[in-house]
Amino acid sequence: MIKLKIVLEHSYYPNYFAIEDIIATQEKAPCKFLVNIPKLGKLNAASEEDDLKAGTSLELPVWLVQQLASGRQPLVTIDLPKSYKPAYREILKADATAVDLHKFGLYFYELGCHIAQFDNQGDVREILVHTFTTRFKQLMDLADNIGLDPSAIDKLDMLERKLFKDGNLARNLLNNWLNNSIIPMGAATMVVNHRKRKRINVE
Amino acid sequence: MLGEKAYSLVKELEDRQCEILPYNTDLVTEIATEIVHLYDQNHQDVRLEDSRTPGTSTNLMPTVRMRHAAIQRNQRCLLAYHYNRLRLLRQMRWEFGSILPTELKENLSAAENGWFNKYSTILGKYMRSIGENGGLNLAVDLKPPKALFIEVRCLVDYGKLELNDGTNVLLKKNSQHFLPRSECEELIRRGILQHIAN
Amino acid sequence: MDDISSEDILLEEDESEMMHLTPAQLVDRMQETWINEIRAPEILPYKYEYVECLLEHINSMEENIETLQTASLVKVVHQLEIDRFRYIIASYLRTRLEKIELHVFHILKEEDTRIEKNELPYLSDGELQFAQEYKNSIEQHFQSVLSFWPGMPPDDWKNNPVVPNLDSFVFLKSKENVEGVIIDDSDENDIVDLKEGSQVILSYSKIADLLKNDKVSLL
Repeated sequence: MIKLKIVLEHSYYPNYFAIEDIIATQEKAPCKFLVNIPKLGKLNAASEEDDLKAGTSLELPVWLVQQLASGRQPLVTIDLPKSYKPAYREILKADATAVDLHKFGLYFYELGCHIAQFDNQGDVREILVHTFTTRFKQLMDLADNIGLDPSAIDKLDMLERKLFKDGNLARNLLNNWLNNSIIPMGAATMVVNHRKRKRINVE
Repeated sequence: MLGEKAYSLVKELEDRQCEILPYNTDLVTEIATEIVHLYDQNHQDVRLEDSRTPGTSTNLMPTVRMRHAAIQRNQRCLLAYHYNRLRLLRQMRWEFGSILPTELKENLSAAENGWFNKYSTILGKYMRSIGENGGLNLAVDLKPPKALFIEVRCLVDYGKLELNDGTNVLLKKNSQHFLPRSECEELIRRGILQHIAN
Repeated sequence: MDDISSEDILLEEDESEMMHLTPAQLVDRMQETWINEIRAPEILPYKYEYVECLLEHINSMEENIETLQTASLVKVVHQLEIDRFRYIIASYLRTRLEKIELHVFHILKEEDTRIEKNELPYLSDGELQFAQEYKNSIEQHFQSVLSFWPGMPPDDWKNNPVVPNLDSFVFLKSKENVEGVIIDDSDENDIVDLKEGSQVILSYSKIADLLKNDKVSLL
């Protein structure tokens, strides 16, 4: 069952119900308004006017700017969030393995796929692939040999963490199997968690 | 307006992905109120916009569009919250069986309790439809069998267990037994027996 | 197992073509079907004939060992064999059920298209009914969640359902010589020939048809 779960979860496509996609798109991106938006002045904390004026620059969640920038009459122009701007891309190009990607963004790749749509030059797309492929070997080593440097996990983004967890699990399963081919039956995960919590509550 | 409430509702699922938290009635109600509010405002502005002579006074359509985006986002978070909780309920059906422990049941909304029972029913119906001889229980045989008999330790005072061949075994806390695998699998899943593998 | 049921099991395939399989061959086929299902990101056509025959085989084995003495070693070995078969079938059907639930909206739509095109369905009757009831139960739940909505709530969620990622990579083994598998759609020279017995890793979407036509199996 564990194996199947991994197959299905990794055959993931962003979809309407995807928690990671919803969380990633709450990140903010800078944008500039092209037209007046009557009555919504309160979105701009720096102004007390009723209307949101054309020319105002604001940082708004990606899910919103995506909607506003699309269609035949875009209401805003979008700028890249800072982790995807040239200065940060240079850092990644220089040595992606040394970067604390977690600080670049919790969902660096997931959000990056959305951001890439705003970047006509394709530089964002390129840096996503570059970053992932350069860091992948390190990730594999980490998954194979945990115990070397636990702090390394803190520097992974959420996608990398998931891969790390699965890779590590697969490694442990293989080790167990090589050492002893009996797989003990266990209580269901939820049952175990439920017990634990009950015990804590009693204490 | 920027969907912060809806976002925190979804966040609840991210942190604790494998257990069911109490149904957040308050937050769900607040988000519903926000949606209705945005909806009403848009409704009004669209009517104003319809009666407006082109070129005069302010164009409200950009405002309507922004609110509409917010409505959609709120709806998405709301449905994602409920959908992913159903996925958890589904898993609970497989792990706890068709009767949930009371403490967990209390964490579900009335509609969720209804869904859980419905899922149990359709799953049961499907399992009975397999093959020609009254079906196949898919909730057992979860691990590949290696041996017919296994050594188990009893974790609670369970009482008498009658085996298929008619013999009775008394399952007392901390007692150890050598039993047919097929007959203790469910008890292991439910955490009553523990499988001792060398 | 030959001493228990030595007659060959009759399999109906494509209804016109009858095929004889020994129990051992049947188990092999079922095992391959099961592993393919576990490894493939999408649901595969249901192998009705293998499941039904193996279930029948289990039943006849069970009837036979009833007649054996409790403590006999033969009985123990047969019982273990039955447990293994049942595990394979249960795991196969569970795997399918998980996919059906996860991708329910997508799968039912595909199934409709197949019916329209007069193609064979992928789901068994029981699975199809389960899928429809499961889908209805979710829609009803959503309806109750959105009952506060002024007017009809939009159903955007139907436009972006949970779908399998067919670009996932899979390990596979070629069952015969296959020529000219296209690896990159944008470059028609980028092709590979698979020799019988060779093992490769490829994107699922490139070999889905080969898998469904029984030219390759997943590992």
